[in-house]
Amino acid sequence: MFFRLACKSLLNRKASVLLTVLAMSVSVFVLLGVEHIRSQTKQSFSNTVSGVDLIVGARTGSLNLLLYSVFRMGSPTNNIDWRTYEAIAANPKVDWTIPISLGDSHKGYRVMGTTADYFKHFSYGQKRKLSFASGQSFSDVLDVVLGAEVASKLGYSLGDDIVVAHGLASTSFSLHDDKPFKVVGILAATGTPVDQTVHVSLAGIEAIHDGWQQGVKLPGGASTAAVDSKQLQPEKITAIMLGLTSRMATFRVQRDINNYRKEPLSAILPGVALSELWQMMGVLENTLRLVSGLILIAALLGLSAMMMASIRERSNEIHLLRVIGAPPGFLFLLIELEAVLISLLSIALGGLGLFVGLLLASDYLATDFGLFIGVNILSGNNLIYLSLVMAATVLVAALPSFLVYRQARSSH
Amino acid sequence: MTIELSGVRFCYPESPGEQTLNIHSWRVAGGEQVFLHGPSGGGKTTLLNILSGMLPATEGRVEVLGERLDGMSRRRRDSFRARHIGYIFQQFNLIPYLDALDNIRLANHFSQGQSVAELQANASGLLNSFGLDPSDMTKPVGKLSVGQQQRIAIARAMINKPEILIADEPTSSLDQVNRDHFMAELMAMVSRSNTTLIFVSHDMSLASYFDRVDALTDINRTEVMS
Repeated sequence: MFFRLACKSLLNRKASVLLTVLAMSVSVFVLLGVEHIRSQTKQSFSNTVSGVDLIVGARTGSLNLLLYSVFRMGSPTNNIDWRTYEAIAANPKVDWTIPISLGDSHKGYRVMGTTADYFKHFSYGQKRKLSFASGQSFSDVLDVVLGAEVASKLGYSLGDDIVVAHGLASTSFSLHDDKPFKVVGILAATGTPVDQTVHVSLAGIEAIHDGWQQGVKLPGGASTAAVDSKQLQPEKITAIMLGLTSRMATFRVQRDINNYRKEPLSAILPGVALSELWQMMGVLENTLRLVSGLILIAALLGLSAMMMASIRERSNEIHLLRVIGAPPGFLFLLIELEAVLISLLSIALGGLGLFVGLLLASDYLATDFGLFIGVNILSGNNLIYLSLVMAATVLVAALPSFLVYRQARSSH
Repeated sequence: MTIELSGVRFCYPESPGEQTLNIHSWRVAGGEQVFLHGPSGGGKTTLLNILSGMLPATEGRVEVLGERLDGMSRRRRDSFRARHIGYIFQQFNLIPYLDALDNIRLANHFSQGQSVAELQANASGLLNSFGLDPSDMTKPVGKLSVGQQQRIAIARAMINKPEILIADEPTSSLDQVNRDHFMAELMAMVSRSNTTLIFVSHDMSLASYFDRVDALTDINRTEVMS
């Protein structure tokens, strides 16, 4: 009866309760959304690369290098000469190398030129190797290996032909349509930007740009027939991922690369660069947390004000309840329960809104920002936050509850 | 005696020098139906609140159904009231957003006198006996007529089979026809159940329904304290 009374009392004040629920739902949505996206972004970034000791690129900031080489975000400032790559690869302390070349795209997905070593050495998450859902690594110049999402979203399967566009725009008119690639492999899903990458060989990148100058196809450029007959050694690449023979050598190799005389280079440790990123993001994170916390406090105060306003309207009801034997404590708990029900409803609505929002936006976040945000919002800090919301609700409802309690004690 | 007051004085805490009640002695026997009248502001409602345990007397002995209310804690008085006393007011007898059955269930909730099945049967039976249409039993009482609401109020007050029924100007908001129906139903109900009725009103035309008529001015001898 206690629960029924609280529910019907709330239903009786539909308009004010609905507005309060909406205000609180928005605040819960923001609070959970900020925390969820923050933690998922961090997790997504941390899981994207593992086992790579150094990343080398043209001289630039470590964050920029990390973002464009690993997360496919932003653009490189410059390229690295192929001879430099060969010199670094020849270093006895270097165990393996993954050269990468970026700059083209296919229907909004980035195309990455690399070697077969990429599939052998690149790891993500807890040092998990890439695996093929179907097919195999590229062997011919115009073979392509698709990330899981590229294949599923664009409906590609083995043997299909795809045309790469020059540049990174999602809609490009400069197509390398004279040299289509053939899908020979599809990678298993990783939940990282790898899923959204179109992998081709470095020779393939060279081949499609043969006969192009400054992003424009020259009239009478090289044809498909010419692909195999030409020397397809790349002149420039975008970055290199390095695995070293020993972790002890990391700083030594990094210093050697940073001091390389023939070309200005930057070598970064992915973990350190990520830490820098978190440090930089820390201020933003705290600001977002503060803002979402303030929004929640405002909504909770609104809840308290609504409950207070209702007390005046309910003085006859309170008196009647007293007369039929309701102790003041019952009335205190009734107001608390009503506040808790409003909060629970708000949490449910806010959570549902966030869940639906993430479902709808997850593709957009993944393709446009390389962020893999899961839809399971009931995890980690969010459960703590929800507990805090409930505790704060009980706290802010204590004032109107106490006023009712006091009114009930003096009811006559 | 069902009700026995002796040496009862009452002052509201906000005006401690002003006596609202000063009753030397007043007794009501079990099953008696007492019509209590007096001028507005004469302390009628205060007396009823003391009898029901809503207010503790400032001093004196308040014995109801053989128990000393003046010695009870607030919590015990609340429980005593829920179990033994029914109450009907002029207005706001019911929670307007609950239906008739829920209003009755709520009264039983605090007395915990009946099981759910028993309560359901008794509540429906009681409302039927007052001529309430079954379709009206599940409507929010705020949507029913004043006459219907007062009949539901009697049912709510009587559901716990109280030994004492207190009615505080219950007919003031009713027209002549509804008032007569209400009084007939109320008196029949208390006679059937041998319930002690304390009925307060300033409408002397209702006195004819009662076997005992008391003027509050005769029993309440207030004086200004120094």
